[in-house]
Amino acid sequence: MADRPAGPGPPALSIRALTKRYDDGTLALDEVDLEVPAGEFFGLLGPNGAGKTTLIGAVTNLVRITSGEVRIFGHPAESLEARRMVGVAEQEPNLDRFLTVREALLYHGGYFGLTRAEAERRAEDMIDVFDLRAKADVRAPRLSGGMRRRLLLARALLHEPRLVILDEPTAGVDVELRHELWRYIRRLHSEGTTILLTTHYMEEAEALCEDIALIGRGRIVARDSATGLKERFGGETLEEVYLRSVATSLEREEAAL
Amino acid sequence: MTGYVQHRAMARPHPWRGLLWLSARETLRVLKLWTQTTLAPVVSSALFILVFGLSLASRISQVEGFPYRQFIVPGLIAMAMAQAAYSNNSSSIFQARSDRYIHDVLSAPIRPWQMNLGLTVGGVFRALLIGVGLLAVAAPLTGVPVQHPLALILAVLLMVALFGALGVIVGIYAETFDHHTFVNNIVILPLTFLGGVFYSVSILPSPWREVTHANPLFYIVNAVRYGFLGSSDVSAALAFAITAAITGALVGWAQYLFTTGHKLKP
Repeated sequence: MADRPAGPGPPALSIRALTKRYDDGTLALDEVDLEVPAGEFFGLLGPNGAGKTTLIGAVTNLVRITSGEVRIFGHPAESLEARRMVGVAEQEPNLDRFLTVREALLYHGGYFGLTRAEAERRAEDMIDVFDLRAKADVRAPRLSGGMRRRLLLARALLHEPRLVILDEPTAGVDVELRHELWRYIRRLHSEGTTILLTTHYMEEAEALCEDIALIGRGRIVARDSATGLKERFGGETLEEVYLRSVATSLEREEAAL
Repeated sequence: MTGYVQHRAMARPHPWRGLLWLSARETLRVLKLWTQTTLAPVVSSALFILVFGLSLASRISQVEGFPYRQFIVPGLIAMAMAQAAYSNNSSSIFQARSDRYIHDVLSAPIRPWQMNLGLTVGGVFRALLIGVGLLAVAAPLTGVPVQHPLALILAVLLMVALFGALGVIVGIYAETFDHHTFVNNIVILPLTFLGGVFYSVSILPSPWREVTHANPLFYIVNAVRYGFLGSSDVSAALAFAITAAITGALVGWAQYLFTTGHKLKP
């Protein structure tokens, strides 16, 4: 259910039997299989606590997996090659409080292996792209919520990753900035970047994603295009599909107990 | 947002660059907070040298053949450097974990040992700044000699690596900022004072003399004192061996945390 036919070359993301059980016993991911072809705009939807952020953490080397395998463009997720190819903008701003906007971008580039000249060039590019010029010498704690969100995205993209993971990138931003970010993310995708997006905004997933997986209680419960999901679950909107699919999944689990 | 062309870079990872940038970030933090990280410890330790060394020197003539004002300088410098290496790294890593910007490092193509080294550099850099600053103040005031420069360099490197690694470990384990200050105020500071900074262990009665020998900080202070004065309360070889053993154990512990992700990643 979770796999799609593979295109030429390795998929951007390949997850096999991924399980994550936290130290307190919580099962966050339960034998998840998922494959995202290179170049796809992929959406991952699910309620709070469904396992979205844990899955992203497993892909980005921020969570210790219990079992299973994660590969990025054919490389094991924990390898240096894989990490070089992934950029992540996390749900909650996690910006270095001691660095200015320009420094945050510059140092991120350095961590990801860019030379100083490359990092400086890319930092200046990103400052212009995300309209951060006026705040370039301001430290992160003094930025507004919208500017922090811009900086998070700029940082995620600075090292030119092939797979960009956006964990609720438009949460808490105003409508104007949300549409501005949509336009930018669409353009990024049109240029060949693989995007993995999680969001609580159903219209956002419907507008942007070619392919959507619904996750609930650590399992992928459905995967298709927005149109395919609506047909399958008989919903007029993705929100209806989302509620029905998650409810069906819970009913199945309860029946199995 | 203006136009932007995403380059399809297939660049190889360069983890050495990551190490250098991480080290640069940690030293930049020290320099940005220089009044707090460097000036304040130099001033407070210089006051110790002035108050204890110069005022008490008139009442305490000599300790182990050295004027008292000279005798206390190695221990005071060691104490200031040790605290700086520890508190710098523990606070830097605790803040990075608390605000989660350590994720930018953990997700980067940097090897675990390079993360460990890069995050230790800040404390080492800060301790060396303080050590040089204090020596610049203490040498003309007290005339303290440097009898064995190479031994002093070795002792200082072992000591700052030891306390830098301890800071990394506490920074990773700490759940609140109180944990970081607790280790400094309740463990490091008392053990350093009881490690012979202000006195020679030879003047202590039994059983305090034997108890002092169980204090690991005693050997570190004496390794540094040997480098300065050419004299220590225990053999220099023993002081260096114990300091090196503790350093190795703590660096290994820190490395274990980075390699496994224990306490760094859920």
